[in-house]
Order: sequence, then structure tokens, then C-alpha cells
Amino acid sequence: MRRVAAEAAVKDMLKWFSQEKGTVAILDATNSTQARRRWIAQTIGQYGIEVMFVESKCDDEDLIMSNIMEVKTTSPDYRGQDPELAAKDFRDRIRNYEKIYETITETDYTYVKLINVGTQVVINCIQDYLQSRIVYFLMNLHIKPRSIWLSRHGESMFNLAGKIGGDADLSPRGFRYSEALPEICRQAGIVPEQNVTVWTSTMKRTIQTAQHLPYNKLQWKALDELDSGTCDGLTYEEIEEQYPEDFRARDDDKYNYRYRGGESYRDLVIRLEPIIMEMERQENVMVVTHQAVIRCIYAYFMNVPQDRSPWMEIPLHTLIKLTPKAYGTKEERFKANIPAVSTFRPKYSSAKHQETDSPDVNELSVKMNV
Amino acid sequence: MNSTTTTTTSSRNPYFQLVEERAMAKPIATVFDASKVHEKWPFIKGEMAPAQLYSTTSGRLFHSGKIAIITVGLPARGKTHLSVALTRYLRWLGVITHTFHLGDYRRAHCAPGQDVPEDYFFVNASPSSVLLRQKILRQCRTDIYEFFDQHGGQVAIYDAVNPTAAGRRLLAKEFLKNDIHPIFIESTCDDMKIIEENVRNVKISSPDYAGWKPEDAVQDYLRRITVKIPHFETMEETELDYIKMINAGERIIVNNCRFGYLPNRIVFYLMNLHIKSRRTYFARSGIADHDSYKADAPLSEQGLDYARRLADTITKFRVEELRAHVAAGGSKEDRPLVVWTSTRIRTVQTADQLAAKGIKVRQRQQLSQLNPGAVEGLSEEEIRERYPEELEKHNHDPYHHRYPRSESYHDLAVRLEPIILELEREHNDLLIIAHESVLRVLYAYLMACSTADIPTMKFGRDEIVEIVPASYNNVARRIPIPPGIHQEVPNTPFGFPPVFTGI
Repeated sequence: MRRVAAEAAVKDMLKWFSQEKGTVAILDATNSTQARRRWIAQTIGQYGIEVMFVESKCDDEDLIMSNIMEVKTTSPDYRGQDPELAAKDFRDRIRNYEKIYETITETDYTYVKLINVGTQVVINCIQDYLQSRIVYFLMNLHIKPRSIWLSRHGESMFNLAGKIGGDADLSPRGFRYSEALPEICRQAGIVPEQNVTVWTSTMKRTIQTAQHLPYNKLQWKALDELDSGTCDGLTYEEIEEQYPEDFRARDDDKYNYRYRGGESYRDLVIRLEPIIMEMERQENVMVVTHQAVIRCIYAYFMNVPQDRSPWMEIPLHTLIKLTPKAYGTKEERFKANIPAVSTFRPKYSSAKHQETDSPDVNELSVKMNV
Repeated sequence: MNSTTTTTTSSRNPYFQLVEERAMAKPIATVFDASKVHEKWPFIKGEMAPAQLYSTTSGRLFHSGKIAIITVGLPARGKTHLSVALTRYLRWLGVITHTFHLGDYRRAHCAPGQDVPEDYFFVNASPSSVLLRQKILRQCRTDIYEFFDQHGGQVAIYDAVNPTAAGRRLLAKEFLKNDIHPIFIESTCDDMKIIEENVRNVKISSPDYAGWKPEDAVQDYLRRITVKIPHFETMEETELDYIKMINAGERIIVNNCRFGYLPNRIVFYLMNLHIKSRRTYFARSGIADHDSYKADAPLSEQGLDYARRLADTITKFRVEELRAHVAAGGSKEDRPLVVWTSTRIRTVQTADQLAAKGIKVRQRQQLSQLNPGAVEGLSEEEIRERYPEELEKHNHDPYHHRYPRSESYHDLAVRLEPIILELEREHNDLLIIAHESVLRVLYAYLMACSTADIPTMKFGRDEIVEIVPASYNNVARRIPIPPGIHQEVPNTPFGFPPVFTGI
């Protein structure tokens, strides 16, 4: 029966390559015997598709047990059971798999073997740039449960004036948000003794926003706001007046539009590559940064396409919590009870920054992206 | 090594004169003056590296701290090549990196033509050899700390044999004590063919082996290594951070190395590196009649004529090179040539003649020229008229400045990242036929040129540029293309950088 399932999956994969012109397909299965791997390599290889095996292997008994305790004993299979017993039972179940498990040693295959959650990595016969890029990504990845918290800086004096860019101080309401932030973080699940690092940009408004957070802080130049070049310090109305063509061009293709002397969203995404990789490597991180930067980071984790990501609404005074799960990322939003202007601008409008309604209580919304 | 840096033939092109000087200015190991191994630091404060994404006040990037990369491996395993290549790549990204070849320090302590005492590498060396060893090590370490403390250094590559586990543990401890994170990179080989090839390519060109048969010289060199360094332990110290490269990167084992972005980036680079010696050639594409960035026109008559002359020149040159190589006792095996072009019609057609000879041609979309944006085809006068402020900004920083809707050289350098790594991967000889803007950036990478020089480099249609790897750096040579039946159109009227034609 297993063989039938594998054959069906491989058949779908080959169809996807030929009909959808796919580039990289992932066959997610155990593939734990040499015979199975040989069958895959031969079946797929005959269509001129390169095969690369990714093995994750753990032989550190402590690591295995702590992973079981952390993840598996919360599963419905073991509800109501003694965690110790449940873990032991699960460990015995794994032992049955171990009997037939053959770790990859086939020297003529391209493979990457991640041992004990990346303590050691064996990389064999990398064939091209793309494969090296995949290994590079895998080396940054970990599977420990964690969350990422994202917040824009508090309302700034430039936000109040409707200006973009600059390096302004927070507004009085922005400072109130910075004071409220430690409590919002607690509501969003950051307990004080938890190991969290707060990243800010090098701009005053993000550093001021994070100032009361009782965690380690790191400033990243790469987290600075999208550089709006000659438009820095202008309002959207002024941009429309002074650079009408640019204003229109930006809305036509906001992702690729580059401000004169400044950056596009595409440029920003490239600049953020080290940040994204470092976020994958880290466990609990809180990032206090800017609207465009959060849009890019959010789009990465939530899989938002290029034509939509620059138009997403990321309100001020709101903490976003992202929790990567096996099949997607869970999103929760925690809204502070502090009013702020809305800096969201719909397509082709030069609307002034609006006052938002002030909610009575902290709001929470939950969404799951798959 | 000295001979290779001076063989650059013609000085007609002023740029290549500069390259020769660069190669000559490198601290030369044979100077008998122990205090001058590293008298010059090649860092200019405040200058952004070509592919640097952002800068910080400390000069260090990615919050990865200070890192010492320590090589491990017997001679002829490609350690020096690896150190030099990694230095070039990290500097390209803006990471302040320097290699400290312990061999340079050793040679500086010996009289010309002399080597260190026979027992220098022995575990039970004589007291005088131990003293000499300590003195040499101390001097190298002093320079490494100076690099970190006074020159904003982020990565120091310590290129030495480091044969014992005990020695490596001590070294790791010492660096950690100074807040420097040690990473070991071992290059090891169980394939004798790779070792012999490496010895043949880089080790036996020394005067010691003048008049020897290459086969005998290789065997003698290998015998000498075994006598000189009888004791070598491969890395098994699982508590240390190390990267073990087996058989020139065929297999890589990464142990720990999980403390930051930079170590992963280094592994990423090493996955694409190999130690085989090969050539890279650069040639311009032929010209078209009414080409523009958007039109993508086919070659003109004159362009077709150039394509023929280019194909003839490179073919003849390579036949001649192989003949000379065999005459000097080298292997008869020919390294195949592959050609990369952009996807623009002009560059593809320029390679047609070579494709007809059975040479493999690959089109690479990333190799397309710098997008000239709104100033395409404009003369300096016209730009001054329409975009006076932009022109001023451009003259101030021609590398980073973008005209409206255009790409800057910096954009191009970032977009070429996959090409650069594939360039490192390529085992065959490689001819890149591309636009001048692209050649400038790729040349700057291979020759470690400074950012400011890139926008004004010249690549004419009267030559092919050949890049040859040497011990401590690459060396560029020019291969003249004989003139054709048509008058060559100068592409740089008024001495203005030809960015604006989109070429």
C-alpha cells in the first residue's frame, strides 16, 4: 500500500513538472531505505530531473526525548495520559521504525544530512547553485517551536504631519505606545523570563518604541525603512504634486517602483535577506521596525504575493504575533488601546493620514495561513 | 608566483597596467625582512564594497562578531587557494577580511633560498626549532590582533597546516579568550589524482624543480611533505566549530558553526568552490545596427564579422596554449570550453560561430546589461539639459547612483550574485560574452578591484581578457583580436562612460 501511495505521489510530481513547468518539487515521505531511494532516483532521474535527498537524523537520546516531550505528548493520541509514560510509549514506537531505517550513505547521490538538529551537517555532491542555495537555507532552519513578534514603531511626529521617511521622534501617543508595549507583549505570550531578543532599526522612532522592553536589544541597519530618496520628508499630496508621473508609476507597480535616489520593495527584500535568514536561525524574536519592512517580512512568512504585499495594511500600535506551524503560519494581532493616525493609503489616492477609531479594549484577532 | 604577475604582456591598455601594479604591490613572501610581511592593509575607511548591502559604524556586518577562520590540511590540499578565494568573496560582500599566510612569515624568517629546519614541523622538534616556531607564530598572531583591534577587521583567515588536535584546541581557546570566534576549515583529500593535479598546477613551478620531469617533480614534492610533516590528525574535535571539505568539495561536513549568519554564508560559498585550475575569458558582444535596451536587435554585418574574428582568435589561442603546455611536459588533456551569453540577441549571435564548432553555449538571463533607464542613448549634453541634478549626483558616485528608471552598478553587482557563485563552480574553461557593464562587474570580482574603479573600466572589441589563477591572486592577460574589415566604432565618444547606450 505504501508503494502505491509513493507511486501516486511521484506520478503527480512528474505531471506537475511537465504541465505546470515546475522547478523544484518536494517529495515529503520517509524514504528510509536504500531500495526506496534507488527507486526514486531512477524513476525521477530518467526524466532529466535532478534528485536531491534531505535527511534529518537524530541520534542524541536526550534531544529525541525532549523533542517528544515538547511536541508529541500534546497530540490527541495521548490526551489524558501521564506525559512520562506517553513519551516512553512514543519512543518505543520510533524504535520499530529505527529497525528498518537506513541512513543515507550513497556517495553517488546528491544529499544533505542534518544530524541532531544541525549540530552536524553532511553535504554530498552538490550539483549546482540552486542546490547550494537550498542547503544554505536548510542550515539556517530549525524546528523548535517559537514565535516572531512584529510591531511598527509608535506613531511618530512625521506620521502626524503625514510625511514619509525621515528620522523623527515619536509623538506623545507614540511614547504612550512604547510604555504600553511591555504589557501588550505579556498578553501576546512573552513571559518575562523567556529568552527573547528585540531587534530594532537604527532609526530613533523604533529605538524609542522598544526602550521599555526588558529584553536584549540589537540594532540592525538593514531594518531601516524603505528609502524614499528625493521624496523623503514629503507628504503623499506633495509627491503627487511635485512628481506626478512617479506617483502614478509607483501605484502601477508598487513592488518594482523605485523612488528617485531611493529604493523599491524589491530592493528592500534583497537588503532583508540576511535578516530573514537570521530570523529563521533564531528562536523567539521581536522586531520593531517600519511599515514597508514589516510588509516584506510578513509576506515572507505568510506567503503573500508581490502584487499584494506592498498594499497590505499594517496598522500602527498593533503587535503581530506569527507562529510557524508544520503546515503554515498562525497569525495573531494585539491592538493597543492607544489611537494613532492610519498611514494606509489605498491605490491611486493621496489621502491624508486619517484618525482611526479608538477601540475601548485591546483587540485580538487570529488568522491561520496555510 | 612573481614570474606570473609580470608576464602580463601588453601595456597598451592603461587599466591592465594598473592590475600589474596591484599584483606587484602585494607583500611578497620572499622578502627577507620579518617585520614587513603585512606592511600594507588594503582597506579604505568608509568605502563600500561592490556588493555590500549596508554599512555600520563599527564596520562589522550581520551581528556576526569577530571570526578567525583557521585552515587545516597538509600542503597541496588547496588551503591557500581556498583562503584567497574566500577573502575575495567576503570582501566583495563588504566583510573586512584578511588572510594571514603562515608560510609568508616562515619564509620571511629564512634567508633567501633557505627553508625552515628539517624538524620544524615535527612533534618532537629540537629546542631551537620550537623557539623559531613560537617566534613566527607570535608575529603572525600579533598581526591578526592588530587587524581586529586597529583596522576594524571582522574575519581573519589564518592559513597554516595546524596538523594536531591539541594545537587546534589551544588555538581555539586563545581566540575565544580574545572574543574572536574560531572556525576551522579543513581541506582533505583521499583522491590522489586531485592532489597530484594540484601539485602539478601550483607547487612544482618553483625554481627548485627547473629541469625536472613533471611526474618526478610531483612524486618528489609529495615525498617531501611526508618526511617534513609526518604527523597529521584530521579534525574529529566535535566540540569545535569546523567545516571539513573532502576531495575538493565533493563532500562537506559542517560541525556546529551555528553561531551566526556569516558562518552559514561561508559554507554556502564553499559549496560552490573547487580547487581545480581553470581559465575565464571575457569578450564583448558584437554590435547591432539599431540596438537599444528595449529593441534587442540582431548583429549588424560588422557585428557578424567581429563574431567570426572572436571565434577564430579564441580557438587559435587555446590550441596554441595546449601545444605549449604539452611541450612543457603538461598533460595532453584539453579542458573543454563553455560559453555563457546573456539572453539578448546580440550576445547569443556573437557565440553562434563557437556553437557551430560544437562548443556548449548557455544563455544566462542575469547577464543582461545594466538597464540605462531614462537616459538611454542620451549624450552628456542632453543629460545635462534634462537631468542636471542627476548628472551631478552621478558624477559624485557613479557606482551607486541611478538615473531615473535605471539600474546602478551596485544593483548589477547584487543581481550577479548567482552568476558569481556559478562562476566559482564551473570546472571547464569559460568564455563570457556580455555587455561592457556586466564585464566590468565580473572582472572586478575576480580581480578584487575597488568599487570606485568599476564604472570606468574599459573592455574593447579588439581583445579578449583572460583571467588566470595564480597563488595569491588572479592575473589578467589580454589576447588581441586582429582588426576586421570594418572600421571599429569607438564606443566612448567624448570620453564619457558608455553607460547610457545600454551597452
